[in-house]
Amino acid sequence: MKSIILKSATVLIASALLATDAFAQPSQKLSDPEIASVAVVANQTDIEYAMIAKKKTNNAEVIKFAETMAKDHQSVIDQAVALVTKLGVTPKDNAVSKSLQAGGIKTKKLLNSKTGAAFDKAYIDNEVAYHKAVISTVENVLIKDASNKELKELLLSVVPILKTHLEHAEMVQKMIAGK
Amino acid sequence: MKRAILNSIFSNWLLLCSLLISGCSSPEEKSTAKIYLIEISQMKFNPAVLTVQKGDTVLFINHDFVIHNITEKSAAKWSSPQLANGKSWRMVVTQTADYYCTIHQVMNGRIQVH
Repeated sequence: MKSIILKSATVLIASALLATDAFAQPSQKLSDPEIASVAVVANQTDIEYAMIAKKKTNNAEVIKFAETMAKDHQSVIDQAVALVTKLGVTPKDNAVSKSLQAGGIKTKKLLNSKTGAAFDKAYIDNEVAYHKAVISTVENVLIKDASNKELKELLLSVVPILKTHLEHAEMVQKMIAGK
Repeated sequence: MKRAILNSIFSNWLLLCSLLISGCSSPEEKSTAKIYLIEISQMKFNPAVLTVQKGDTVLFINHDFVIHNITEKSAAKWSSPQLANGKSWRMVVTQTADYYCTIHQVMNGRIQVH
């Protein structure tokens, strides 16, 4: 049963990364070291998308958005690393973080295959879907499963940042569509 | 203990003096510019809309762990430096302005001169 739920959570995250399916809420209980790993991988993945965008786009709004993603997600990683160091927790790989990494590889391949306006659209569409998926995972899985109070508080403080990113991505998405 | 009592007496004396001074102030002194606080927290300016008098000061403080700035929206007539967590910036208000954070462009606020 446990593995079925975990597998479905993994598939759902991977689906959302590819900007296709709606994101349902898994109920697999993750440990704090596993949550730390998911948090770091999720943020690192979006930094990597931003790095590709900064290399490939000429669109000023897309560049600004990508710069914000790189800065903010690095700040979240810094906070997470400081906390796990303080708590003496070592992030532990798990099916969800592995799935995020696998989804990230596929998405980066897709982004690298595109140029010009097609790239801008693919990048921003993915950012919208990715942030929706991550917000849902943080709110419905990571916060609920976190045992440590400080870890839970850090996750709670990340939600408004992710929601602002989503709103920003949707704004850029509309600008691109209007061109 | 003795030191604590002395400190308490001194504090009360200061408070009494300030009350007496404010009670005796002229109408001109009462219109002295004020300082208002806008807190940046959970990716929002709070309060998002603030009404002040011309010449009042607004102090912004960033409680988020991500960096923010405060920039006039129509033509970047004024802008703060980048504010890391715990950093603040103040400005004297001369006219009504809509402002935003250029890093997080969906974060907006308004200072209204009454």
